[in-house]
Amino acid sequence: MSFGSSSLGDEVDKKLIVVLRDGKKFIGTMRTFDQFANIVLQDTIERVYVGDCYSDKSLGVFFIRGDNVVILGEIDPDKEVQEKRLQKVSWDEIQKLYELEKQKKEEEEQLKRKIMTDSGLTIDSILNIDEF
Amino acid sequence: MLPLSLLRTGQNHQILVELKNGETYNGILVNCDNWMNINLKNVIRTSKDTDKFWKIQSCYIRGNTIKYISVPDEIIDLVVEEEHTFKSYQPTGRGDGSGRGRGRGGENSRGRGEYTGRGRGDYSNRGRGGGTGGDSSSSRGRGDGSTRGRGGEFRGRGGRGRGGVPS
Amino acid sequence: MSSYNPAAKKESILDLKMFLGKEICVKFTGGREVQGILKGYDQLVNITLDQTQEFIRDPQDPLTVTDEKRFLGLVVCRGSSVMMVCPTEGCMSIPNPYEE
Repeated sequence: MSFGSSSLGDEVDKKLIVVLRDGKKFIGTMRTFDQFANIVLQDTIERVYVGDCYSDKSLGVFFIRGDNVVILGEIDPDKEVQEKRLQKVSWDEIQKLYELEKQKKEEEEQLKRKIMTDSGLTIDSILNIDEF
Repeated sequence: MLPLSLLRTGQNHQILVELKNGETYNGILVNCDNWMNINLKNVIRTSKDTDKFWKIQSCYIRGNTIKYISVPDEIIDLVVEEEHTFKSYQPTGRGDGSGRGRGRGGENSRGRGEYTGRGRGDYSNRGRGGGTGGDSSSSRGRGDGSTRGRGGEFRGRGGRGRGGVPS
Repeated sequence: MSSYNPAAKKESILDLKMFLGKEICVKFTGGREVQGILKGYDQLVNITLDQTQEFIRDPQDPLTVTDEKRFLGLVVCRGSSVMMVCPTEGCMSIPNPYEE
């Protein structure tokens, strides 16, 4: 066993949740990785959470480029089954809920931006997103 | 099996690539290289807001702009086959256990292999061993997580090799 | 397995020779999109384009492109910021192909 160090090798063939920089969450079995933390997931699903609801979309084999990964979390299969609070809905429904959330957030952002520019401060919103 | 070799096996298959700017490119993978730059043909490009679509004959995408790639499920099976034929063909296996270990990660195993050879009997090589391993902490003789299979062996050897060395 | 081939590493997988003299579309990191006739290139994918037009981006969202253009003429594109290269011929806007 290691002491004071870890590697992705411990996570091979485990069910992981991968959170990307843009907020997408993918759950799948990690099959392989490399020195850049590029990951290959099998039986991947994309899960979207809005409030207390969530929805899954099945995607198959996924190759994720390492520099987009924020967090990798191992999913405990027992704890996953115990989850009662969240409600699963259909993909279309979650998209609708997501759009509503997004609208609300956009409006808040607009308001904030307006207030800042009115008082002479500029926020470069590009800084909040990747340079691409 | 490394992720890039999985990608290479996916040549001539339909893949979906999402770039960091949110656009998706759905097409047949013609070619890819070690930097993950890819060549696609018969591509359908979808804009970030999924409202505009274009059909493109062929395109080249730089690896560092890729967010993720979705490949067909068959690819995993194809790679497993290739690995078997590759293993049976390789005579030396490059001595770094990359054929053996699934998910070992190329860099970790290579550094380890080089280090154990050099650092063992010679205290003065410590810096050099660390240099090739790419990580000075690994020259202190402690196995890391990825050496799980060989952890005990390595530690024992290290201990014997430098009985009086404070590490 | 397409094995480790040292010779292949020196060539780019992008064969720009085929596109010389043809009009290509180049996208850059940061969201700029440009179309022009390929005049020259090198291994680092630095590109020279002639009669180049830049597509103006939506001021609200710097990542989406409108239909307005501005004319630039002879341009050198730096390879490190090239994100995508494609030929404009055979490239057309289509309705949603995923709708059944």
